[in-house]
Amino acid sequence: MKSVPVKVEHEGRWVPTTMGIGEDRIRIAAPLDREITYKSVVDLEEKKNQVTITAGTDKDLVYRIASVEKVLSVLKKFIITQASAYRLNAFFMSPAIRGGVLIQDARWEKGAIAVMKTGIWFVGQETQVCIPLADVAGIELTSREIQEKNLDVVKIDHLIENEVVTSFVLCPMTTLQVLYNFLKEATQDSDVSEELDPLTGQVAMLVYSGMDSSAIENMLKLSHKDLETVYDRLLGTGLAEVLYIRKEVQLTAKGVRYISNAMKSSSN
Amino acid sequence: MGRILIVDDTMFMRTLLKNILFSGGHDIVGEAADGAEAVARYQELRPDLVTMDIVMPKVNGIEALKAIKAADPAAKVIMCTAVGQEQMVKLAVKSGARGYIVKPFQAPKVLEEVKNVLNA
Repeated sequence: MKSVPVKVEHEGRWVPTTMGIGEDRIRIAAPLDREITYKSVVDLEEKKNQVTITAGTDKDLVYRIASVEKVLSVLKKFIITQASAYRLNAFFMSPAIRGGVLIQDARWEKGAIAVMKTGIWFVGQETQVCIPLADVAGIELTSREIQEKNLDVVKIDHLIENEVVTSFVLCPMTTLQVLYNFLKEATQDSDVSEELDPLTGQVAMLVYSGMDSSAIENMLKLSHKDLETVYDRLLGTGLAEVLYIRKEVQLTAKGVRYISNAMKSSSN
Repeated sequence: MGRILIVDDTMFMRTLLKNILFSGGHDIVGEAADGAEAVARYQELRPDLVTMDIVMPKVNGIEALKAIKAADPAAKVIMCTAVGQEQMVKLAVKSGARGYIVKPFQAPKVLEEVKNVLNA
């Protein structure tokens, strides 16, 4: 078992320690003193330089481990290929489209997919991609031309740091259907049932594209008050959230005096 | 920064693209609402780049792209179409498109793609 330096979260603090990475388990040294078999892992989440492992035997135990990318990459690969998860061999392409722009050199990669509690993992020879279920914006069973043939694929739209990214999964139809059904069910809370009026739809499209309030007001010839009303509709349906509240100000007498004085001194 | 011709049959999408490209410092030299108008406007304006919708009345974007490339093989055209029509990519690339944008799109990525194509 190869031992590497890591930091683990212990009693609310990050503590430096070592972790042994074996073929079927990891061993975290003091103060945790724990051994975790990969097959007991039910969930794996990732943040920058940090993974959260949930291992469930009689009750779920959560471990947060921080280390360098190389160590985490090895650890993730062991977990994803052995964890207690729905796993399938598939081809995947991620990302295929980013922010609406087609990635021309995107390639199909052969690997495994593991569906875990809070996310779906793609693991290839060189790539490890996690799509948290909470970040899935759309799932579609569609077809795509691959090597001159129209083949069925699952298309997943998801968010990565506020960018909308599209990934594709290709595997036999029966497996594809299982994956599609699982994802559909796991993300049904974010299904859109609301019908938007045309103006609210246009505003939503402009927000998606990255336009700010003043650009939207100018484009759609809306007053500030009208746009606020549309925003309230989007907030009410849960399709948008408040990013920040912009201030509109007017000058006080002191401010007017300051500007008048500034103009006088610049014209002298 | 480039001189850009925007081709789309909906005014909303033209205005959206115009805003995005303008915010990136580009000069919008013209607009067209169908493929035939796009070819005519291209000959007249000779822009550095065209953003071309695919599904349009009269002459579609692929036909317009072919006509523009026939007149000017160096023309730089980015195709733009709705989700679900990505199958057109091969045809567009074969016909000489330099890039491909899928609607809905996000401004920073569109500007990045435009910059890449302009600098290529």
